[in-house]
This record gives sequence, C-alpha cells and structure tokens, in this order.
Amino acid sequence: MPAIFPRWTNNIPLAIAILGPIFGAGLIGGVWYYFSPKFTDVGYRPIQPVPFSHKLHAGDMGMDCRYCHNTVERAPHAAIPPTATCMNCHSQVKTDSPKLALVRESYESGASIPWIRIHQLPDYAYFDHRPHLAAGVGCSTCHGRIDQMTVVQMDQPLSMSWCLDCHRNPEPNLRPLDQITNMDWNTAVESYDPKSDGRKRELTPPEHCSGCHR
Amino acid sequence: MTRFNALNVALALGLLAGCQGNRSDQPPVHIFQNMDFQKRFEAQEVNDFYYAVDCPEEAAAYDEAKAKALEEHGEEEPIFVKKCFGRAMRTPPAGTVAVGHLKDDDHYFRGRGPDGRLIDALPPQVELNEALLKRGEERYNIYCQPCHDYVGNGQGVATLRGGGFKVQPPSYHTEKLRAMPLGYFYKVISEGQGTMLSYASQIPVEDRWAIAAWVRTLQVSRQSKGGK
Repeated sequence: MPAIFPRWTNNIPLAIAILGPIFGAGLIGGVWYYFSPKFTDVGYRPIQPVPFSHKLHAGDMGMDCRYCHNTVERAPHAAIPPTATCMNCHSQVKTDSPKLALVRESYESGASIPWIRIHQLPDYAYFDHRPHLAAGVGCSTCHGRIDQMTVVQMDQPLSMSWCLDCHRNPEPNLRPLDQITNMDWNTAVESYDPKSDGRKRELTPPEHCSGCHR
Repeated sequence: MTRFNALNVALALGLLAGCQGNRSDQPPVHIFQNMDFQKRFEAQEVNDFYYAVDCPEEAAAYDEAKAKALEEHGEEEPIFVKKCFGRAMRTPPAGTVAVGHLKDDDHYFRGRGPDGRLIDALPPQVELNEALLKRGEERYNIYCQPCHDYVGNGQGVATLRGGGFKVQPPSYHTEKLRAMPLGYFYKVISEGQGTMLSYASQIPVEDRWAIAAWVRTLQVSRQSKGGK
C-alpha cells in the first residue's frame, strides 16, 4: 500500500513547532511595539497655521508657560491663548512679519486661528491640570522639553499605563511647587522629597477607575 | 533564494513601519477606536452650531454655494473651503451679567474710591502680608517681566528682540509713576494704558492687586535710604 502522505510531510510538525512560536512571538512583539501609543502617538507634530516657536518664546526669551496658558492652574484645560495675548507684544514687535499675518487678521476679524491640537486624550478620560500642578508635576514631565521645540511634538504616550505608572508611584516625578514651569528641572537628578516639603495635602493620586473615567 | 527574498521583505516592512517616537505630521492612528472620539464638546473645540453667528460673512457665502450646488447638481454639501470656524465655547451676550459676576465693588474691581477717583489703598478683601507680595512677585515675573523686566526699568526681553518695541515701556522709577496711587497700577493691568493692552483676561482680580502691591514694592525698594 502506497503512503497517503508524501515523505516531506513528516517535517510539518517540526516546522510548526519551530516556526509557530517564532510567528507567535513576532505577532505579540509587533502588537506590543507598533500598537502602543509610544509608536502611534509620540512624535506627532502637525504643521500649525502660524509657525509659532516655543523654542524662541519659552526657551530663548524665557517666558513663563503661564503667560499664554494662563488657565492651567485654575481650569482643567490649559487654554490655547486668544489672539489678543499674541498681540500684547506683537502689536509692538515684528508688526510687519508675514508669519504673523494670520494673527493680525484674526485680531482684526475676531475669527479664531485654527490651531491643531496635539495632546488629545480619549474622550472617556477626564483629565484635569489643576491637581497635577497642585501636587508638583511639572510641565516638562508630560510635555517634554517644550522650550527646545521649534515645532511642538508629542513627547510622552499619554497612555493609561503611562498614567498609572506615575499614579502608583508619584514621588520620583514631583518637584517643588515653585519649579512647576522650570523646564530645566530634572526630576531624575534633583534630590527632592515631597514628604519633607511641609505639604498640607497628602499625596494620594487615584488608582480607581472613576478617578479618570466617569 | 525565496527565503532570502522573504527576509528582505520582512526587513523592508520593518523599516517602513519605523520606530517608536518617529516624527510625523499625520494625526495619530487609533488602532482600537473604542470610544476615543465621542460627540462631546470640549473646551476650545471647533463647533459649527453657531457658524452663522461666529462667521457671518463666510456663512452667507457658504449658504450661497450650498443653494447653487443644490440647484445645479442636486447635492447638499458644496465644495467649500472654510477659513473661519465656529466655536463650542460661547461668550455671554452683550449687556448681560452672569450670576456672581456683577462686579459692583468699585474699589475691588476698578481700583476707585467712593469719589470715583483712583484710590491709593488695597481693597479690604486683600490683606497686605508676605504671601500677597510673594504671589505678586511670582505673577509679576510671569505676566509683566517680559516687557517691564524684573525690576521695572521697562527693558524686558520682549522689548529688546526682533527690532524692539516702537514705544518702550516706561520705567516705574520716575517721579510721575511714583506719585501714582495703587489703584492706578490695578487699572493699567485691567484696562491697559497707551500701547499696553488689557491683561484682564489673563490675570484674575486678586492677582492684579498682588501685582500692584509688588510694583509698589519695587518702587519703594529704590527709594530706601537705609533702615526700612
């Protein structure tokens, strides 16, 4: 009686045993690497309608973040400034610059400048800047070295695991409350202990679901 | 040979996919959409519900284009490039006052006394203490320092770059400004003065008083003749 299967089929179980795990590991590795917000989100830097340079304003000139994003301590949302804030200085400086044409136009007409949002959390996550600033999380901890970015890009993944990493162990990411907007403050280098800082409120970032999801 | 090609294809795919943190001007792709994007108004988001109010001129042109498209092709949405966008956030209608925002305290909200003149005192709600001056210094260094510099000479970093200011901010340390009542500094922050625009939307009322107190502190610090 002739064999039903040709001889080479004897290799199939071996091939599956060897290639199967490799394929499986590759699949898991691929999803782990490429489906992560570290890959899909970090590095997003859209071309804005006005080529505003944070490196010039916040870096070279050393303006405080809160000059423009002035609601950050008082509201959940760190507001994009109204055109009037630009005009505080640009009614005096670089008044003929073609790069600022849209700003002047917006100031005249009252129409909004269509800035493109970079940091966008999922709509089921309710983030509030206020408690983070009150606890001493600096701007650069989540937004990176904005003062070195000519074009702003996303620096951190803003994923849930990234949030929880800090909520479970906040101390290494905290700094003194008067250093919030200091871009040079490096939490890895500075030795700062929030527990001996005389803080009135205890550090208890929520880890339960409804802390961020309502 | 085919195996070699397969390896090449795998390598090329890997390279095309790129690495974590690669820069891109394309919006992030959400592989699992879940409910990441919902029909929810967010602060400062575009919303065309009040398009006709926010962009009256463009809205008229849009309506015209829509009517024309409907007539010519029977299509509802015309090809139309919007330059103006409606806003989800609304400003209160003119002439209305929101609850709790009457601002009927002339001293606190306008820096003026009962006689209607600028007053040279902090309002009773604001207590002069170390915390107020510290707050004033911090806020001054955020909002005023870029033009007026840290000590009030009017030579801030913004006035020195990019061709400089057309009109230089004045120094606080002149006879004229030393003689001004405290309410004057509050009024200038709130309403602007000369080429300086209003900072009312950037700085809350209590912080404006703190800054006014800090400006006075800067002035007094120059006049000190020893002792206090």
